[in-house]
Amino acid sequence: MRQVIKGNHAVSHGVRLSRVEVISAYPITPQTTIVEELSEMCASGALDAKFIKVESEHSALAALIGSASAGARSFTATSSQGLLLMHEVLHWVCGARLPIVLANVNRAVGPGWNIWAEQTDSVSQRDTGWIQIYCESNQEVLDSIIMAYKLAERLMLPVMVAYDAFFLSHTSEVVDIPEQGEVDAFLPPYEPPYKIDVDNPKMLGGMIGPDLYYEERYLIYRDFMKAMEVYKEICEDFQGIFGRTYGFVETYRIEGAELVLVTAGTLTSVARIAVDKARQAGIPLGLMKVRLFRPVPLNVWRQTLGNVPKVVVIDRNLVGGLGGVFASEIRSALYELDKRPVIYSAIAGLGGRDVTPRDIRGIADYVLSGQAQTDIPIFWGLKE
Amino acid sequence: MMQVNKRSDMAKKVEIGSWRDLPPMNISMGTMLHNLTGSWRFIKPIYLDKVPACQNTCPCGNDIEAWIKLIQRKEIRDAYLYIKREEPFPAILGRVCFRFCEEACNRSGLDESIRIRELERFVGDMGISKGIYPQVPDYHGKSLGVIGSGPAGMSVAYFARLLGFRVTIFEALDVMGGILRVGIPAYRLPRSIVEAEFELLKNMGITLRPGTRVGQDISLEQCCREFDYVFVASGAHKSRRLGIEGEDASPYVMTGLELLKKVALGQTPTLGNHVTVVGGGNTAIDAARTAIRLGAQEVTVLYRRTETEMPAHPEEVEEAREEGVNFHFLAAPDKIELDEGGRIQRLICCEMELGPPDESGRRAPVKKPDSRFQMNTDTLITAVGEIPWFEPLQTFTKVKHGPLQTDHELFVTQPLPGKAKVYAGGDLIDIPHTVAHALASGKRAAIAMDCDRRGINFREVESKISIGDGVALSFSKYMDLPPLNPVRQDLHQVVNRDRIVYDYFEEASPVQLHIRPPAQRKMHFEPYVSTLTQEEAGQECERCIHCGRCTECDNCLIFCPDISILPSGEDSFGYRFDYDYCKGCGICFTECPRHAISMVDEDVDIEEA
Repeated sequence: MRQVIKGNHAVSHGVRLSRVEVISAYPITPQTTIVEELSEMCASGALDAKFIKVESEHSALAALIGSASAGARSFTATSSQGLLLMHEVLHWVCGARLPIVLANVNRAVGPGWNIWAEQTDSVSQRDTGWIQIYCESNQEVLDSIIMAYKLAERLMLPVMVAYDAFFLSHTSEVVDIPEQGEVDAFLPPYEPPYKIDVDNPKMLGGMIGPDLYYEERYLIYRDFMKAMEVYKEICEDFQGIFGRTYGFVETYRIEGAELVLVTAGTLTSVARIAVDKARQAGIPLGLMKVRLFRPVPLNVWRQTLGNVPKVVVIDRNLVGGLGGVFASEIRSALYELDKRPVIYSAIAGLGGRDVTPRDIRGIADYVLSGQAQTDIPIFWGLKE
Repeated sequence: MMQVNKRSDMAKKVEIGSWRDLPPMNISMGTMLHNLTGSWRFIKPIYLDKVPACQNTCPCGNDIEAWIKLIQRKEIRDAYLYIKREEPFPAILGRVCFRFCEEACNRSGLDESIRIRELERFVGDMGISKGIYPQVPDYHGKSLGVIGSGPAGMSVAYFARLLGFRVTIFEALDVMGGILRVGIPAYRLPRSIVEAEFELLKNMGITLRPGTRVGQDISLEQCCREFDYVFVASGAHKSRRLGIEGEDASPYVMTGLELLKKVALGQTPTLGNHVTVVGGGNTAIDAARTAIRLGAQEVTVLYRRTETEMPAHPEEVEEAREEGVNFHFLAAPDKIELDEGGRIQRLICCEMELGPPDESGRRAPVKKPDSRFQMNTDTLITAVGEIPWFEPLQTFTKVKHGPLQTDHELFVTQPLPGKAKVYAGGDLIDIPHTVAHALASGKRAAIAMDCDRRGINFREVESKISIGDGVALSFSKYMDLPPLNPVRQDLHQVVNRDRIVYDYFEEASPVQLHIRPPAQRKMHFEPYVSTLTQEEAGQECERCIHCGRCTECDNCLIFCPDISILPSGEDSFGYRFDYDYCKGCGICFTECPRHAISMVDEDVDIEEA
């Protein structure tokens, strides 16, 4: 059924259709309406789930450690500072192999206090062992939640679905809300290999000495890397049932491109327009949208970008490393290639600042004109 | 202790062949029972029942919490017998006690105290109506003569009988009960209740000798020859004098005790319209309210200090006021002017003011200079204190008035004739003049006599059976009766408000009492407060916190993070700790709403105590 809904409600419907059994969350703008809608679904009976009110994001995720360990499909949603407060528990959930799904509405981190779109919050959690998926549209958001549960439960690893504040969270789009029967056919009930059982008491999350800790972590890494093939399978299954699907990346007019733009989230939609306009003007631009960011789809990135002369990664985030996080990831992914593109990093749209097709074109022209340097980011739109 | 299979016996250690066999989640492969986390503990929790604040302050050591629990279980007969373990006359104290327990009740830290006295009255009335009394043992051959049938005499007789003594009570008056019968007015304590209690004492095999005044109908020496033990509890029935002019020359000037006694014995003295009562104690208030009931139009209590210093119970003062009694503070009579017929013409009084504190700690009243004023009154009732009095003892003692000297065991230390060992109690000795304290003295003396009979040291026994801060002795502990909760008990730890976790309790108002309005009750001597119904009593009991006593509320079990609190099983009470795994975190101790768990050193022997 096609409905005009906001991105946050697309999440709520994804959670409902996934038959989530426990929801625990703490409100934060711009995430709040996800859980508002979910609490109403719980109250009306549309969703048969336990809704746990907590006093912080740390507790929200900690509560799900309990519910997921007991074998319940579990969900939380947060944003910005809330995600950062969960940081310790994010690591724990991965180490405990709990297939929790978390929706993160990408919002800038304070101070200065800012509630608008930026991806620093989730990209800075890239090392917590969570699978990360970045979305571009409300439909993609809904579909990704359902896919995330299948992926998480196949691997016994947590999945984070990220999308931009306001540009998606509070913007209405037409979304095809699947029928419950279709989703049930796609997503089987959660059957964990182990769960808390009073008749068979076990220690969960217990101590492991130097003799086995390394191996235990290796097993987590090994299964984390398995995400690649499982993800591919799931995308195919999804196509079979719903008639649409998503890949590791999405490319646009990449053939013969002199310069390929790399984006994640809603910047992609803007970049598409910029690419079309540039192509009309005879400038050979292409586009690669990053969707699966963790684990890094190394070979896909290499195949897509390996033969391109130039790449500019436009990051809606800024961390104290090598500038944009996506840029440095792409750089290290391509480094070992014999022939690799010249890679530029651009920073744009921080704290929700608008990035227009003109801005994208500006970045492209700047790179193509040879003025850009590779060792410092292009701070596009920085005021004089 | 029941032998339970230890969970640690089920533990098996699992050997891992290869790391490739590690489970896909971080989970132990065997059970974790081999990991004896109890070894991390350095203090351990134990279930230890303690003394609730109410029991601690009760002069009789009444185990209130336990019989409230029995009321909640609707086992009223057992509740009655449980009260009688420590406090033999619940129908009496359930009416006239000054409620030390309710003042201490920890429930007042949340809303209002439990109506313990009313509950006790409910249980007491049921017991009396069914004629229930505890099983009595055979006589062991030793005998006890009790002089005086007031509360102290009744109490010593009851406990001594339960200890196997052959007991006789001598009463000078033709009616039994002493102060209960001829002092406390019938509107507070109906005659029928006192008579019923004596009926029960008689049924227990105690001999009652009313109309037998020791020193007149039988000599003290003879008593001391006939009995192995004698208990003197002749009370304080000699009234203190005002020491003013006109006091002894008129039939219209009388003492409070005299008035109360006459009325109790069925006479109706003529008091006239205006009655003045001098004094601030309970006798003064009883006399004033009695005068109101006899038809006096205007009754004034004259007290030389202020209301704050009044020894009378505030509740009594309040009820007297409701019934129309006037109070005139900081005033004292100076002279009674009589006419030739002995009628009071004028009462000359003085205004008083409070000086520095006297030996009682209260500020001493002193006459204000030039402050004489006069009052009109038909009758003057003096109630300025009673003197402990037992005439026959005067032969043997130099002390002519004041309390009789006894030692710690209530043994009369001065030499007396005959073989009997003589003890004393009640208002005759130096203890607070309340019915509860009198009953307590009877219990103490009975235990002391029994220790003497058995040739054991009272002091040693006392250290084991004294309750809480040591106000009361536990008769059930002396008799080695098991407590209601079959768990260890520490009689010396008192649970006060600071130990109650009030967050676990919801506010609830006490049950409403049915009290007749003052205009109705002052017309006669009928009691004016109804006994609670079983439903009301049950409702009131639900408010009890059960301080220091396990109620099997499951809170500890729910909170224990180590699943180390296990229910004892369907047929046994409470829980047990699994010390193999209890880490000694103390959460159970902190979260026990009523402080029934203690943390003790590891080396404390759990089976002990």
